[in-house]
Amino acid sequence: MNFSIGQTIKHAILILGALIVIAPFYTMVSYSFKSQREIETGADTGFFGSQEVIIDEFCVHRGQPEREEVKDTLELYPEKTERDVYNILLDEVKKNCTKKPVFFNYQSAFTFAPLLRYLLNGVIVTVSIFLIQVIVALPAAYALAKLRFWGRDFAFSLVLFCLLIPVHAIALPLYIMLAKVGLTNTYAALIIPWTISVFGIFLMRQFFMTVPDDLIDAGRMDGMSEFSIIWKVMLPTAIPALLAFAIFSVVAHWNDYFWPRVVITGERNLFTPPIGMREYRADSDGTFYGPIMAVSTVIVTPLIVAFMLAQKRFIEGITLSGMK
Amino acid sequence: MSGIFLKKINKSFGNTLVLNNVDLEIYEGEFLTLVGPSGCGKSTLLRILAGLESSDSGEVFIGGADMTKVKPADRNLAMVFQSYALYPHLTVSENMLTPLKLRHLSTLERFPLIGPFISREKRNELTERVRKTAKILKLESFLKRKPGQLSGGQRQRAALGRAMVRNPVGFLMDEPLSNLDAALRVHMRSELSELHKALGSTFVYVTHDQAEALTMSNRLAVMMDGNILQLGKPREIYEKPSDIRVAEFIGSPKINIFSCNVIKSNQVEICGFKIQGNFQHFMDKKISIGIRPEHLSLTNDRNCIKGIIKHRENLGSDFFMHVESPNIEKRIILRVSPEEALNLQVDAKFNFNFSQKYALFFNSAGKRVEVFDPNNITNKKIA
Amino acid sequence: MNSVHKSAYWFLAPAIILMIIIFGIPIIMALGLSLTDYSLGNPGANFVGLDNYEKIFTRSSYEKMFGATFRYVLVVVPLTVGLGLGAALLINSITRFGDLYKTIYFLPVMATLMAMAIVWQIMLHPSIGEINRFLQSGCEIGWLKNLLTLSFLGFEKMDTWFGRSCEDGMPNWLGDKDYAIWVVCFIGVWQGFGFNMVLYLAGLTSVSRELYMAAEMDGAKSSWERFRLVTWPALGPTTVFVVTISCIKAFQVFDIVEAFWTRGAGPSKTAYVMMYAIFEKGIKQNLIGIGASITIIFLIFVMMITLVQRYLVEKRVHYS
Repeated sequence: MNFSIGQTIKHAILILGALIVIAPFYTMVSYSFKSQREIETGADTGFFGSQEVIIDEFCVHRGQPEREEVKDTLELYPEKTERDVYNILLDEVKKNCTKKPVFFNYQSAFTFAPLLRYLLNGVIVTVSIFLIQVIVALPAAYALAKLRFWGRDFAFSLVLFCLLIPVHAIALPLYIMLAKVGLTNTYAALIIPWTISVFGIFLMRQFFMTVPDDLIDAGRMDGMSEFSIIWKVMLPTAIPALLAFAIFSVVAHWNDYFWPRVVITGERNLFTPPIGMREYRADSDGTFYGPIMAVSTVIVTPLIVAFMLAQKRFIEGITLSGMK
Repeated sequence: MSGIFLKKINKSFGNTLVLNNVDLEIYEGEFLTLVGPSGCGKSTLLRILAGLESSDSGEVFIGGADMTKVKPADRNLAMVFQSYALYPHLTVSENMLTPLKLRHLSTLERFPLIGPFISREKRNELTERVRKTAKILKLESFLKRKPGQLSGGQRQRAALGRAMVRNPVGFLMDEPLSNLDAALRVHMRSELSELHKALGSTFVYVTHDQAEALTMSNRLAVMMDGNILQLGKPREIYEKPSDIRVAEFIGSPKINIFSCNVIKSNQVEICGFKIQGNFQHFMDKKISIGIRPEHLSLTNDRNCIKGIIKHRENLGSDFFMHVESPNIEKRIILRVSPEEALNLQVDAKFNFNFSQKYALFFNSAGKRVEVFDPNNITNKKIA
Repeated sequence: MNSVHKSAYWFLAPAIILMIIIFGIPIIMALGLSLTDYSLGNPGANFVGLDNYEKIFTRSSYEKMFGATFRYVLVVVPLTVGLGLGAALLINSITRFGDLYKTIYFLPVMATLMAMAIVWQIMLHPSIGEINRFLQSGCEIGWLKNLLTLSFLGFEKMDTWFGRSCEDGMPNWLGDKDYAIWVVCFIGVWQGFGFNMVLYLAGLTSVSRELYMAAEMDGAKSSWERFRLVTWPALGPTTVFVVTISCIKAFQVFDIVEAFWTRGAGPSKTAYVMMYAIFEKGIKQNLIGIGASITIIFLIFVMMITLVQRYLVEKRVHYS
């Protein structure tokens, strides 16, 4: 009885949409398993590819027999020519350098450029940004929501005004300011413009408005200072909103490409994952598709996995942002 | 041949049976209330009548016609919802116009821009109808306002207005007063009753509040666990409840229930006091005796039931005494006048009794049974 | 109570100071710099009045900038909003698997756009990309080709886009100036509509069920009528919000352009969007005066959108 025509058509449309949405993810993961040849010829070898072993040219190049080595070996086999010995040694190297494409791709992902370093940078930057945002936003939100003082309306309208301005839009003057104080190419440059999240202040203020005054008065009666009320009373009650905000902040800054591109110009050690991706495309047309897809997979996966695990919270977080 | 007839309605949600073979006839022009605790199926029954929910089996007749499979819009019933369900983006008059437009104007005539142009006369007519209804409900000065700018009572009236403009066969109301504050609720009760008299159309009213049910309706149907336990006039239901659950649900404070074992065929005892009657069918079984708080009275006779006052409830015009009595587990509640209450402070000991004719007897299955010869009811006090 | 008042200033001070440093000063700086020919590393700067703005509004490369930006915004905003709403309504009306679709449609929102743009770039590769392979395979299946070239309606094979592509080879999506910006738009829609869907789904949960019932009782029989009477008005505030943030996000498009074309913003600058222009002029070429002027124009656009939003929000307040 539930199997109506209407429902079937709806599912058909939704499935079609889902296929288009998911296509690049499928391609990304599938290519990260495949060899360059498989990708270029488009041979139908399934999601995981044929996993036919390939010779890792980089590995061969690195392992090329040295002149000394050839000479040493030549002494053991005096009947052979230098050329023969070289070839034998090279074959040996090649044998050690054959591997399945999946290993090749993921190995190259981590060796071709310091991907681990990039990931670490990504973690350092997103975590610092979030922590500083919270430290700045919580007291401000508390003051705006629960304290009475002269100038409160003005302060709140300032927040509302800044809410309209995307930080990316004013990247140029910010860049100049940072350049003037010599902070480009530092972690500080990556973090400073994001230390204030007006959205965070706004979100937490809206949430604090719903916390009953009695709770705060109880804290005051117990002898807490205003400052400890923020961290001991407000913070624990605000965990759901804070989590939503955390998701928002982490997603935005893990994925941010524009700002790091502006302030990190040459210092490879400071690259965040999205910027780091550029390294893999340096020799653009001779791009190795497999490794770069492996890099993409590695960068995209953490957030997707986190999303799958805490889907409800993620969507709640996004929804909260829409409640203004 | 008009009136509404629900026949053998069954409905379950998943594994829970919500309505169990319910039959109900609603006479034309009457005010019928479906009353019962939450979850008893009363709202579901109303929705099935409206056509908003379909029953698993059973039939719905409205005005003699089988409407079981008819869409809600074509049943010509109007509904007033608990949350009023006014369209928040439309003014009161637009809200009231909406059902009229959807019924009386064709799709083309409702089309933006050209619609108003080709159907001006019809539209004027409909607006006039809205104005008349608004006048009856004293809503005229609020017609241009949006629901958000109205008080609870005004929203309530606007919702009524939207239902009224259509001249429906019947009005369905799903707890329409429960979002109002207490004083307004009492006021709206009388307004609704008067409106019912003035309109003379059928009202089907759902509530969990037994006071609303008793005050407004011509008849009420007490529902519990998906069944109609009793259907009758308010007075009948109050005085002669057919089931112990009905007796307990209707009436506030709750009826007092004493249970005892029948050991003699012509009398039973409560705490050593005897009631004469015909108990031969209940030998060696339990029987419950129900007495409403207002039927218990104070007495100086020391042989009557003894009690200690544990709590006094002052309602101004009346006092309710919560009393503990030896050998009776539950607290007993009795109503006394303020004068009587003067002498009765907490922890005071006193005696009380009741007139035999007010005692209601229920068998072990909870059904009410007659134990007196109907021609020979005496006013004699027990004991 | 006195201490309560004072501590408020302490709590707000860091936020206010940071707002001034990160929003206030840069905006004023941009305003000032846009009137000069300043460049980093040079000792001084000359006041040039409105010259920079004049250049922006007269030179053809900036005409391209506005063209690309507005094309992107005007395509992406309606499509992300429309598809977001459509997906939300569909998901809301089905009885099963709603959560699954929701998850899938939301994936692009979470994924690093830079990485996904590179994946799309490979998929759009003219010879080895999956998209052209897929289209090409359509040319080889008789009935499908007939259908797509509309030849069953009597069209010649060169009359339709698909027919021509089968003959002359599939398009070079990213290398052809007729396609480039539209491909960028497509990626923008692909990435963005899931976000709007989630907001609309949240909006839909707040529509009271009784209102739908009331509409049905009032005689709104078709689902379209109920949509117009109940759903659409109820989603009004959500729509205003969704359109506003979609606009502001669309103006900021950058990652896709940088990922697709490592230099030059597309074939003959057809994808030269504003953020790219700010980046190229201001940071790469150190023409800070011009960059600052574009920044100011950008901010004016954003302000205008927000003013429209505020106006609409004020105009339609339902339940106070």
